[in-house]
Amino acid sequence: MSIIYKREDLGEGIHFTSLINKRQKLNNIFIYLLTPLSGDTASENAVIPYVLCGSSRNYPTLTDLNKKLSELYGAVIKGSVSKMGDSQSLSLMAGCINNRYTFDGEKITEEMTKMLADCLTDPNISENCFEEKDFELKKQELLDDIDAEINEKRAYAFKRANMNIFKNEPAAISVKGDREHAEKINARSAYERYKELLRTAQIEIFFVGAEYSETCRNILAEAFSKLDRNYAGDNHSDRSPVKSEICRVTEEHDVAQSKMVMAFKTDCENIVALKLMNAIFGATPISKLFMNVREKLSLCYYCSSGVNEKKGVVYVDSGVEHSNVGKAEAEILNQLDAVRNGDFSDDEMENARRAIVNSWKGVGDGARSIAEWYFNQSYMGRSDPPEKQIELLMNVSRDDVISAAESLKLDTVYVLSGKEEVR
Amino acid sequence: MEKKIVKNERTGEQYTYVKHPTGLDIFIWKMEDYSTTHALFGTKYGSINTKFKTKNDPDFITVPNGIAHYLEHKLFENEDCDVFSLYAKTGASANAYTSFDRTCYLFSCTDNVYDSLEILLSFVQDPYFTEETVRKEQGIIGQEIRMYDDNAGWRVFFNMLQGMYHNHPVKIDIAGTVESIAQINADLLYKCYYTFYNLNNMVLSIAGNVDEDKVLELCDKLLKNNEDPKLETAFEPEPDTVCRSEVTQKLEIAVPMFNIGFKAKPEKGLDAVRAEIETNFVLSLLADESSDFYKKLYDEGTINSSFSSEVFMGDGYFCSIFGGESRDPRLVRDKIIAEIERCKKEGLDEERFNIIKKSYYGALIRDLNDAEAVATTMINAGMEKISAFDVIETVADVTFEDVTKRLGKQFNTKNVTLSIIEPLDRKEGQD
Repeated sequence: MSIIYKREDLGEGIHFTSLINKRQKLNNIFIYLLTPLSGDTASENAVIPYVLCGSSRNYPTLTDLNKKLSELYGAVIKGSVSKMGDSQSLSLMAGCINNRYTFDGEKITEEMTKMLADCLTDPNISENCFEEKDFELKKQELLDDIDAEINEKRAYAFKRANMNIFKNEPAAISVKGDREHAEKINARSAYERYKELLRTAQIEIFFVGAEYSETCRNILAEAFSKLDRNYAGDNHSDRSPVKSEICRVTEEHDVAQSKMVMAFKTDCENIVALKLMNAIFGATPISKLFMNVREKLSLCYYCSSGVNEKKGVVYVDSGVEHSNVGKAEAEILNQLDAVRNGDFSDDEMENARRAIVNSWKGVGDGARSIAEWYFNQSYMGRSDPPEKQIELLMNVSRDDVISAAESLKLDTVYVLSGKEEVR
Repeated sequence: MEKKIVKNERTGEQYTYVKHPTGLDIFIWKMEDYSTTHALFGTKYGSINTKFKTKNDPDFITVPNGIAHYLEHKLFENEDCDVFSLYAKTGASANAYTSFDRTCYLFSCTDNVYDSLEILLSFVQDPYFTEETVRKEQGIIGQEIRMYDDNAGWRVFFNMLQGMYHNHPVKIDIAGTVESIAQINADLLYKCYYTFYNLNNMVLSIAGNVDEDKVLELCDKLLKNNEDPKLETAFEPEPDTVCRSEVTQKLEIAVPMFNIGFKAKPEKGLDAVRAEIETNFVLSLLADESSDFYKKLYDEGTINSSFSSEVFMGDGYFCSIFGGESRDPRLVRDKIIAEIERCKKEGLDEERFNIIKKSYYGALIRDLNDAEAVATTMINAGMEKISAFDVIETVADVTFEDVTKRLGKQFNTKNVTLSIIEPLDRKEGQD
């Protein structure tokens, strides 16, 4: 792969990473603000990227901003918020086509970079307050989003499960917080919160494009040099402790299909072994869960496993007929026992390994995927390129996989249950 | 074998098109310096193709809904193993999808491209099912149908189609219904397979880190000769008017969701592509995020940022849809209708037209950055019998006059269906 990686400091707790690949037809910039998850601030933090990406002092309304972006060949500036273990990540991204594809060779990448920097550091404010009317609309959207979480039952079940899996830990908090806190925020308090974030948050910037742009780097460096920093330190997550008793929660809803989330805690330090174990167990269409629970027994429409390496959790996420919930749980545990007992062929192991290698080798082809790869790496205190992790994965042995499986302790079983069968 | 290089001056990009002696259309796009290769093998056969005849059938046959999707599931099973376990040996990530008018099988990989391609070409050409394996699938597909019953975004869309169309099968769920799939058996599956999975009715598209000669060599080895069956598909006649102007349903959601559809006459081939592009321009001019109309509705809280619009079209259907969340969907509908009538009278904004053109063009360039998007662009072109660059060129050529005409033609404010998903009634005392 031909990606040139370069990381530099732009200030205390502010890093600029460029990922250059000459075949990129686009230029993308991702700015992440990392801060510890807390019930008191989650909702207020969550609204901030959306407020920031809706205007700036130079483009004071969404219409002005969007009009300018359209002129830059449909450039985009987007805010979002996500969860990384015990941290909350607020992101602002911007993307446009490479200057060489424009009709008249316009320098749109530089213009877009300036717009993004302005959105973050030079917002549309009046008297130490976000613009009131815009803010209220974004707040209403946040409330709508929180209320609408129930619309997507699979994601909703996962969110409710997390509240139980991570009881009394920051990771239990929903990425957008809750209605109670969200109702209390206002344009002034959010502006204070925003200033606090610029002072204290860990800031990771990624530039992904065909060539390194000194101009873009300098636009960002200048914007960040004006910040009055009081850095709170790098973010990290703690492994989630296993509960002394399995936590079982069932919540009844008006759904046709039940959703079950099972969570296992692990203290396994060999993360690549854990990922390989996860692939054999339930993360691919040739995994034990897919082949047995879904295909052979037709117990679930979907049934797959995943790893949260930051918190040390392996979870199984499934959609099940209400009457099959018990059977599905027993069968999922059976399949895990099979992995623990080494009851998987060399073929199964090599197939799972190949599936992971395939996906890691493709990471460099996408702008977002490569930025997120290095963002994750930096969060975990590493800077490995995909090739390095592939090398580690190639060295994982059968015994490593078995130990990883043995380390899993069932912690939580959450069921979002349909009412009794109607047919 | 007919082979040509299709070049595009504007972007400097090119791909190879091959008409294989077996009748298959092949598109190959080599993307320098990519690790990933994405391949799609598809047939022009989707959920709407329930009425058809070949030269061997005396008359048109009508089959139960859901067969195209059912076949997609069953093709993944060989006589002795599951197709996923074959791909497992190459590390490719494989999948398939069925839409209204096509079924595609795909893989994405970084190593062992030709082994993966061999698997793809082989299993799609080699059906195997028995009454027993067909019956077993009913449980899985039944679960899938039920899963979508709870999905408000899916329901609001299909309810709109059901309101809009009297007869066209686009109004039926892609997977069919629990009742229709109960009628499916191995004979019906074979009948539909041999009708639609004929290489004359199919397209292969491959983009990324590939060598053209090796792809064609494999095609020569693996593609099976089949006679062109002169396939014809048909639909019941569909009136211009909508069937119902409003459809509502209640589900467990927070804020009401809506789809507002404007029904229009469908077109074919390059005309359909033009209609789609020009209508997209109209939609952007009317109500995209930079429009005054959007800003007004957004500022007064009638819509939120989930508001969007799209063109939905295919064989025998065409409509423009506005969707989103609102506390008052009927008000949104009335305001959109009023705005359309105003624009018909007062004209669209020409300055914004030029900006939207740049933006639309930029989005198409963005698609060229990704092997999956490139392969998808090519298979879409192959299915429509156009060039993969026709969309980019049409966007570059569209004029303000074209778009103004399209507004008059495609937006009859009498032929509107509003679909609403309302929240369930809350129990007393609950917020």
